[in-house]
This record gives sequence, C-alpha cells and structure tokens, in this order.
Amino acid sequence: MKPFPIFVGIAAVALVVAHYLIFVTVPMEVRMGPVQRIFYFHVPSAMMCYLGFILCFLGSLGYLFKRKTKMDLFALAGAEVGLLFGLVVLVSGPIWARIEWGTWWKWEPRLTSMLLLVLIFMAYWVLRTYGGRGEGVRRFAAVLAIFGTPNILFVRNAVKKWRGDHPDDVVTTLDPDMKMTFYVCMLIMLLLFSLLMITRYRMHRDARTAQAIRRRLGRLGGL
Amino acid sequence: MRRLGFWNAVYTVLSKDFRTELRSKQTLVTMLFFGFVLVFVFAFGFVSDATANRRAYPGALWGALLFTGSLCVGRTFAREAEADAFSALMLAPVDRSAVLLAKMLFNALLIILVMALVAPVLAMMLRVDIVAHGGMIATLIMLGSAGFSVIGTPMAVLAVNARFAEVLLPMVVFPMVTPVIIAGVKGTGVLLGTTIGDDVSPWIQFLGAYVLCFGLAGVFLFDRMVTE
Repeated sequence: MKPFPIFVGIAAVALVVAHYLIFVTVPMEVRMGPVQRIFYFHVPSAMMCYLGFILCFLGSLGYLFKRKTKMDLFALAGAEVGLLFGLVVLVSGPIWARIEWGTWWKWEPRLTSMLLLVLIFMAYWVLRTYGGRGEGVRRFAAVLAIFGTPNILFVRNAVKKWRGDHPDDVVTTLDPDMKMTFYVCMLIMLLLFSLLMITRYRMHRDARTAQAIRRRLGRLGGL
Repeated sequence: MRRLGFWNAVYTVLSKDFRTELRSKQTLVTMLFFGFVLVFVFAFGFVSDATANRRAYPGALWGALLFTGSLCVGRTFAREAEADAFSALMLAPVDRSAVLLAKMLFNALLIILVMALVAPVLAMMLRVDIVAHGGMIATLIMLGSAGFSVIGTPMAVLAVNARFAEVLLPMVVFPMVTPVIIAGVKGTGVLLGTTIGDDVSPWIQFLGAYVLCFGLAGVFLFDRMVTE
C-alpha cells in the first residue's frame, strides 16, 4: 500500500481522537466552563497558521533567488493552508470572546496583528487566484509574502503600547490533563497541516504539469 | 557610453519625472482634486462639536493620505507603460535599484506635497487647531508618505504584470501599509490630545524604522523582482 493513503487514514483517526479528548476526557475549566475547550482548537490552529505563512515566506524567498517553480508552488501551498488555519483562529476566537469578554471583537494587540496577517495573505491568495498565472504575478506574490510576513513584527510593535487582554503563556499554567490534551491536539493539527500541505502542493504541481502538456500538444497541433 | 553612478542615476530619473509631471500636472492635479473631495466628504460626515472634531481629525487625515497615496503609486508606472518607456528604463545601463529609489522619492514627495495642502484644509473644515503641533504633524506626514511610498512603489511595478492591476494594487497595498496608518493616526491623536499617551516620539521612531526597513528591502530586492 502507498504511504499517502495510510497517512490520510491516520490523520482521520487522529482527528476523531482529538474530538474525544477535547469533548469527553479533558477536565472542565472551573472559571470559563465549556467554552474553554475552544482553546484546544484555537491555539494549535494559530501555530499552524504561523507555520504555513513562514513556509510561504521561505518558499517565496527561495523562488525569488533561485527561480524554481517548485518553490513557488510550495509557497502557494503554505499560504493556502496557513490561511485556512488563520480563518479557524478568527472564527473560534470571537466565539470564545463573546462568552469570556462579552464582545465578539476587541482592538487588542494580538487580535489586530492576527487580522492583519490574515488580510495580507488573503490578498496573496486573491492575487494568485485572479491575477493570472504569469511569471510576473508569481514574483509579485513572492514579494508580497516576503514583505508581508515581517510586517507582523511592526504591528506587534505598533500596538504593544495598547493594553493587551488576550491570554498569554497559558500552556505552562495548565493542569497536567489539560496540558496533555493540548500537546496531543498540537500534534494532530501538525499532522493535518502536513497532510493538507502535501495535498495542495501535489495538486498545484500536477496542474502545472497538465498545463505544460496541453501547451506542448497545442504547439504540435494536437488539441 | 559613460555609465552613470548610482546617485547620478537616481537624480536623473527623479528630475525627469518632475519635469514630465510639471509639464502635464496630470497626477498632481488628480491627487489634489481627489484629496479635496475626500476632505469635503470626511468633514461633512464627521463635523460636530469641538471634541468630536479633534477626535475625527487623525482618522480623516490618514484616510485621505491612504487614498491619495494609492492614486499616486498607481500612476507611477502606468505613465511609463504608455509608450513602453518602462522597458527602456529597465534596459538603461544603470542600476535598477536607482530607478526604484528615484520612483520611491518621487512618489513620497508628491504625496507630501498634496498632504501639505490637504492637511490644513481639513483642519479648517473641522475647525481643529493644528498650528500648535504643526511641526510634529508635518514630520508624521512626511514619514508616513515615505512609508506608503516604499511599499506602494515596488508593488506598483509588480502589479503591471497582473490582470486587474488597478483593483489588485490597493487590495495588496492597504493591508501592507496599515502599520503606517496605525502609527500616523495614533501619533496625530497623541498630539491633539485625543489618544492616550503624551509622547509622540515612539510613533515617529516606528515610522522611521518602517521606512528604513522596507525601503532598503525594496531597493535590495528590486533586481530580483522585475523581469529581465
């Protein structure tokens, strides 16, 4: 059997396990109640979002200097998967905030920088999807990713003067059972991330190959 | 032919741009007109008692900078593309980074020029006294315009190759320059006493660092960005 379907199977089982851990076995947080369980999705998703964008940043840098199509496709896959996890963060966060803060959204350092990061990569995605497929657009997108990722450091710096309400450094203070669940969820998210990353990358690569074949056939007068 | 030095090339391209702009005044007049329309709309929408006006001023001011600025950078290479002058510019035996730096300077100066007229008119319309902090607000605007230009100019070059360039460019540039706008709004607010804090220097330092980092990154990466 090929390794990839096995990988998919493991990831599917792992996701079920993650849900069981989060909704059944992990102890209830005393103060926040059931809404705290969002944390086990929310934080690992944020980490995977950062990971995706960092991979996109690295792929873009590589593409700009080495001009290898592979690197460009890798960057695109990283941005897409990172964006997906970013949306999970931006949806799960407000649900928690509604209960805990009594409001969906606050103009708070962490929230502002995360929103901006997702907006930049949404621009990246729209550019890649509707801007055409030419070399110029790919380079444009690469520059956007390279300039966009460090932008976050600036936003963090810009808003650091504002009082932050977002919980920080929670994991170290957790109950051992909660900590265990958190780390397992982190691993499972990483598994899901790798799976999506590989799938998207392969898809883009195959699409590129198909395009090249079609172009060659066209030149031969075949199609 | 003698090869131009880096700063000579910057000067040549910059003076060429100023000469063409002064002859046609196309970009400048459009930006000014657009800026005044924005100011009118903002002032009309926000005008109320003195405190509320002071609070509305920073947002309206930096909103105007954002929109007139995107008009400006969008025109940078549209003009060059008209007679395919862009290719000629890229083929010129000078450092390409020098061309980008010249364009960045040109855009920054144009935005500053427009904002120098828009900011006082907005202050008059909202009846906000900015004279007391004129120097500091001018510093913020100058750095903010430079910040907009160092991001917007390379993006405008790259957008030339994309479909829907005129739609995509602001969509890409706006989130990128949000830190500039945040710092500008906060800094102006501090000066007018509407934002918490009494010291504007962190925001000025922040804008300075932004201009320096992205300006240098753009200039160094430019050779990699454009198609041969």
